[in-house]
This record gives sequence, C-alpha cells and structure tokens, in this order.
Amino acid sequence: MSVEPVLEVVDLVVVYDGTTALHGVSLSVAPGEVLALLGPSGSGKSTLLHAVAGFLVPSGGTARLGGTPVAGNGRPVPPEKRDLAVVFQNYALWPHLSALDTVAYPARRRGVSREQSRREALELLDLLRIAHLADRRPAELSGGEQQRVGLARALARRPSLYLFDEPTAHLDAHVRDVFLQELVARRRGTGAAGIYATHDAEEALGLADRVALLRDGRLVQVGTPQQVYEEPVDLFAARLTGPASVIDAPDGAGRLLVRPGWARLGGPLEGRLRAVWFRGPHSDHLLDTAAGEVLVRQPGPPRHPVGACVGWTLVRSWPLAG
Amino acid sequence: MPSGGPPAVARNVALGGVLAVVAVLVVLPVLRLAAVLWWEGGDLHRILASAAVGEAARNTVLLAVGVTGAAVPIGVVMALTLRRPDLPGRTFWRVAVLAPLVVPDFVLGYSWTQAYARAGFTDTALGWHWAGLLGPRGVWLVLVVNAAPLVYLVVAVGLAARAEPDGELAARVSGAGRVTALRTVTLPLLGPAVAAASVLVFVLTLGTFAIPQVLGTPAGFSTLTTRIYAGLSIGGDPASFLEAVLLALVLVLVAAACVAPADALLGPRLRTTRPADVQAAQVVPGPAAMRRAQATGLAGYLFLTTALPLAALSLASVTRALGVAPTPANWSLEHFRQVLTPRTLEALGRSLTLSVVAASLLVLLGALVAVGERRRSGRAMGTLVVLTLVLPGSTLAVALLITYGRWLSGSLVLILLAYLAKLWAVAHRPIAGALDRLPADELFAARASGAGPLTAVRTVALRPMAPALLGAWLICFLTALHEVTMSSLLYGSGGETLAVVVLNAQELGRVGPSAALSVVLALLVAVPALALWWAARWARARGVARTAMSPREVPGVR
Repeated sequence: MSVEPVLEVVDLVVVYDGTTALHGVSLSVAPGEVLALLGPSGSGKSTLLHAVAGFLVPSGGTARLGGTPVAGNGRPVPPEKRDLAVVFQNYALWPHLSALDTVAYPARRRGVSREQSRREALELLDLLRIAHLADRRPAELSGGEQQRVGLARALARRPSLYLFDEPTAHLDAHVRDVFLQELVARRRGTGAAGIYATHDAEEALGLADRVALLRDGRLVQVGTPQQVYEEPVDLFAARLTGPASVIDAPDGAGRLLVRPGWARLGGPLEGRLRAVWFRGPHSDHLLDTAAGEVLVRQPGPPRHPVGACVGWTLVRSWPLAG
Repeated sequence: MPSGGPPAVARNVALGGVLAVVAVLVVLPVLRLAAVLWWEGGDLHRILASAAVGEAARNTVLLAVGVTGAAVPIGVVMALTLRRPDLPGRTFWRVAVLAPLVVPDFVLGYSWTQAYARAGFTDTALGWHWAGLLGPRGVWLVLVVNAAPLVYLVVAVGLAARAEPDGELAARVSGAGRVTALRTVTLPLLGPAVAAASVLVFVLTLGTFAIPQVLGTPAGFSTLTTRIYAGLSIGGDPASFLEAVLLALVLVLVAAACVAPADALLGPRLRTTRPADVQAAQVVPGPAAMRRAQATGLAGYLFLTTALPLAALSLASVTRALGVAPTPANWSLEHFRQVLTPRTLEALGRSLTLSVVAASLLVLLGALVAVGERRRSGRAMGTLVVLTLVLPGSTLAVALLITYGRWLSGSLVLILLAYLAKLWAVAHRPIAGALDRLPADELFAARASGAGPLTAVRTVALRPMAPALLGAWLICFLTALHEVTMSSLLYGSGGETLAVVVLNAQELGRVGPSAALSVVLALLVAVPALALWWAARWARARGVARTAMSPREVPGVR
C-alpha cells in the first residue's frame, strides 16, 4: 500500500526580483520522515521552505500537502490554511507577547478558549523544560530559550509538516529528542514529517532520514545520510557533505574521493606528512602523496613529526564523476 | 577609563557650548516672554476671559484633535498598503504620497482654493464648488492631507526597521488570517510608532499657522497662531501686543501639557535599542485584485487631494485673467513676468542665503548634540533639543522678538536665530538615528586598530553617516525655505523671505500673481526635494550593499 506523502513538490520554480531562485525542484517527504535540505548560502533552501509555507508564490510547478494542492493549481492557499508549522531562523518571536501567549497563539487561532490554550501552552513549555519562563518576553530570553519557545509554538500548531528554516543555533540534545519523539508519536496517528534546512553537514547527516543537496536552486542529490556521504554524485556533493580528499585514481581513470577514515597510516604507499592536528579522540594527518593530498584520520595522538616520510594504505575510495 | 574619549575638559566645554546656545536661542527668550507678562500684564485675566481668545484656543485644540484623529489612520493605512512589494506601481506611489510634504503647506492650502473654491477649477469646469473650503472644515481637511504623509513616514520607518522581520509570517503560519495577523501582531508592534506620529501631528497642528491663515482667516475662523499674527501685525497697539505675547505663552503651555505625559509614557519604548541589522518585514502575498483596488484607492486619494489642486494652481498661474477658461488659448506667462520683479528676486536671494546658512549651521549643531548625548553627561542635551520641536513657531518668534528685537528687529539674523532654534531637533533626529545604527564595535575596531578618536570617526563613521548628514541638511534647507510662521512675524520691511512674499500676495487676493509665485516657490522646493530623494535612494542602495551579507548568509555565523 502506498502512503500519501506529507509533502510533494513537483518542478517548483521561484523567481523573484528577476532572478530565478529555484529551477524546477521536485521532492517528496513521507510521513514520519525528516528530510535535511543541505546547501551553501544562496542555494535556495530558505526559498524552497518559504514557497512550501506559502510566504512566496512559485512561478511554476506544484506543491501538495497531504495530497491537497496548495500552490500551482489555481489560487495559492494562504499560510494559515496550510497544515504546517515553521521554526524560523531567528525564531520570529513576537516582542509584545510572553512565552506563554506566544505558544498559546496557534491554539487561539484554532478557536480554543484563552484558558485552555494557555494550559496546553504551559504543558508544551514544560515538555521543553522552560515552564518557569512562561511570563517572559523574547527580550528576556536567551538564544537557546527563544529556540525552545519557537519550537513549542510550532508544536502547538499540531501540523503534519514541520519546517526548520536554518535555526541560528543547533538544536540541543533535549530539544531534538522532544521533536523527534513528537514525530514518532504523530507517526502512529496521522503521520508528521519535518524538513530541516541547514548548511552544516554534520547536523544534516546526524538528524535526517534523508538528505537533499541543493546548489544554485537545483537539487544535486537526494539520499540517505550514508549515501550522500559515501557515494556523492560529484565533487560539489562530496565537499558539501564532509571533509573530502580527492586523489588521482591509480589506474589513471579519473579521480577518487577519500574520506578521512578511508585511509590509514602504515603501509606500502609513500607520503610526506605536511601537517597534523590533534583532535582529542583522534588526530588528522595531511599527507602529500604522488596521487595528491590525503587527509588521514587515525585514533590517538599524532605519531609522527611534521615533515616525516610515512607509509599509508588506501582502505576505501569512491570514484567521482566529472 | 584610561583613554575612552576626548579629554574631560573638551567634553565639558562642548557640553557647555551647547547649553549656552540652547539658553540663548530658547530658554532666555521664553523666560523673557513670561517676564514681560509678569511685569507689564495688568489685564491678563481680562484677555484670557475674552470670548475671542477662548474661541481661538478652543479652535486650536479641536483642530489638533480632529487632524490627529483623521491623519493618523490615513497615514497608517498608506504605510500598510505601500509596504506590499506586489502593489502595482509601488515605487511611484511611495514618492507620490510624499508630495504634500514637498509643497509648502500654505501653497497646498492655496492650491485647494484654486481647485475647489468658488471660481476655482471645478467651479469653472463642472459648475461645482465647495463652500466649506474657506472655514473650519476646509482648514481641517487640508491639514489632514498635509499631515498624513508625515504619519506615513514615521509608521513606514517603524515597519521597515523591525527587530523581528518574520513576526507576521510566524502569525500566518500559526493559523492567523490576514486580518487577525494585522490585529494581533502588526498593529500592536506598531503601537509606539503610531503614538509617536500622533504626538507629532498633534503638536505640529497646535502650532500650525499658514493653512488656518490662508483658509480660515478669510472666513473669520481664528486659531491661537493666527491671533498672534493678527496681534503683532497691528503695529504699535500695546494691548494687542500683550495679547499676542500671552497667547504665545498659552500655546507653549498647551503643547507642553500634551507632550510631557506622552513623552514620559512613550519615551522609554521609543528609545529602545535599535539593532544594527534591522530588516524590513516580509509580507505574505495576497490576492492581486485587492492590490489593484488598493492602488486605485491610493490613486484616487492622491488625485483629489494633491494632483488636482496643484494642477489647478499651475493653470491659474498661466491663465491670463480670473474667470477666463483655463484653455491653452488663454495661457500666458504674464503673471510670472509680473511677479518676478527685482524685489521678488531679492527675496529669493535672501531665502536661499538664509536657508543655506541655517541648514549648514544646523547640521553642525545637530551633529554636536548627537555625539554629545552618547555620553551619559550629555543625555539631557538630546532631550532639551527635542523639546524645541514642541515649541510652537509663533511662540518662539514672539519670544525672540521681545528678547533680541531691540538690537536685531527686522534683520535677517533674527530670522536665522528663529530657524536655528526651531529646526535644531529636525537636524538632530536623522543624525542621531544614523549614529545609533552605527555599530559601536566598528568604532572600537578602528580604535583597536590604532586610530585616534577623530581618525576613527573620519575613517569609519563619516562614510556611513554621509547620507544622514546630507539628508539632515536638505530637510533643514527645505523647511527653512518654506517657513512662514516665524518669518512672517519677524521680517522687517524690505527684508521679506520669498515665502512671506507669497503669503502676502495671497492675502492681497491677487489670484494670478499669487498662483505664479506659489508655483515658483513649489518648484524651488521640489527641485532640492528630488535631490533629497535621490540621496535617500543612494543611501538605501548603499545600505543594501552594506547588509547584503546579513548573518543569515554568512556560513560562519550561527
């Protein structure tokens, strides 16, 4: 049985101020899934989220939320009628409302009484361990506390889709757990999903079920975190998803991607140690080799001085297209 | 603090200098005003109790309330409409709504008589005229049209410089419809800006002179300012002089009574820190039909309130004689030839000289206070200077006249002093605002890189401040150029400014020449105003360039 995707975007084109910010992006998000949108600044992450949220009207393509067309088929559906919530970049808290009233706001708009919506808001704040800050206004909250209020407001909306527009700070462990648990809880019901825009590869790979790589308004690759890390479609995707050494293939047929853990010190190949960084649990060694520069990650402290000639072994590699 | 700024001595000298100038320009004259009444005023009670004075006072307050009540909603609606990027012709409308600010207020009032009064344009063309134009309702309406762009400006700045640009998007995506988002988020956040605009309009209307004089006086409608003018015009009558002095004091007391509580309530909220990287609020696109309806409404409003009257004024200035159809066959430049006499040109020269000198000195004074008030010891300076904004022009003129008139009566220096006192706050505001937006860290970075205080200001602060300095200069220049409230009280014979010449011509009732003079004055103001507009665009383009790398876009900033 095929499940209706929470979000389905087909050939989405967004043009503003004469420049095309999205060139026909297509993707879908399944219930319970977290999709990370990973791309450098200006790649169109925010634009895509804003088009999905209804803050922008796309000039081409369609968007469907839970099977219902919201853009591209006649009149666009306004944001308040879309079944989604947004955690904004700088949280977009209202300076004139307390944390409690901010979180109560979505329930109030659903027609819930003031008392009831405040009660629900307090529960959410408690879930995020900031119930004691309920009476504070945004100016009196720290960045992390603002983030929790912003997430609580999104949770209060009880949407099928959560959009995270590059939150200024990483979600801390507790906040992330609360959010993921909410998705799991909702999966049993109607099924909620999340899209998380970020330019931080580590965050994207660690949080998401699938990662979509964006460049200049185009999708470069969509896959599981492991896929995009280990089998990037090109050099751009490789660099975007983590530290990447690129060497010439021994048989001369193109270039190979070598991740830091894919080579180890000691072995038949020769290299000169150009630099070394102690990272705590492991050390990074930058080798000059005949095939090119290779970054080797090895457990423990550095074992050789800079300038030393060392042997190394290529354990694994991935042929790069192009 | 080892080397945190200029030496204490220099700072104290600067502070003392500013205080001395404030004392000379404002404090001393107002005290003298009170003193005159104290020593010479035997019949004050009788003057205050007279029906005519009571009526003028009542008219003044009612007018201020009525104008504020109408201009504020209009200005707020304008600002909310014009911020929509999808409004058809938005760039044009944003400039067009400011037209009433560029046209001197009495020229606007006069242009309305040319459009809608008896024998005006609509009367000639359609046989319809508005009998109420000359009288309280006409004064009220033209003042509203004149004040609405001011409200628009204040509110638009409030909308654009928002610490939380995504607030409305957050409301919409939380389930609020267009109207609910407006009610629960946009308007509450605009509260301080709307309140500030209301106070500003109220105070300016209390002190307004030209429009009541042009539209009200002929119909026997008097306000405190027109009575002061009338009282001083009757030269040599001690009783009417005393009345004028008393009314000047009453006016400032009424203004202070209204503004002091407002400032106490609003001041702290308005002075909250302005973040360096404010962004314009993003808005959710709405139905195109609504945008078109809004654009049409705006066009209709501007056509009736500004475009038609100014066109009628221009037609009157080129139409050979009163009562002749304003068709091209009857056009001539005779009125212009008639009014562009050597005497008018001298007045023009005086106006330009006065305005240039005043604007240049004002930028200097404004900058001095803006820099000074950044120190704790100088904070009171800023407040003191802002208070001069509240001081009605008529009061200031009378006070300066009785204090320095004995030496300077009828000379341009007296008018210059009046301009300096009245417009100091006008120059100070934009400069202080730009200085506030200048991140302190940038100056510290310059100091930490080896620049002395003056070098730091010159190399780091002056470039970003240039648009504000230029803007302040131009605003002062324009305001001085069409100022009549004070000039008409202070000029000596043969020493009129151009604006006074225009006002006097209007009072004499010579329609064609008055219209021609009004057009000359309006053009004289419109040309620098366009320059100001270009400067603002330039500043904005630079501002965009400055903030193009917003934290949102810099990967390292998280």
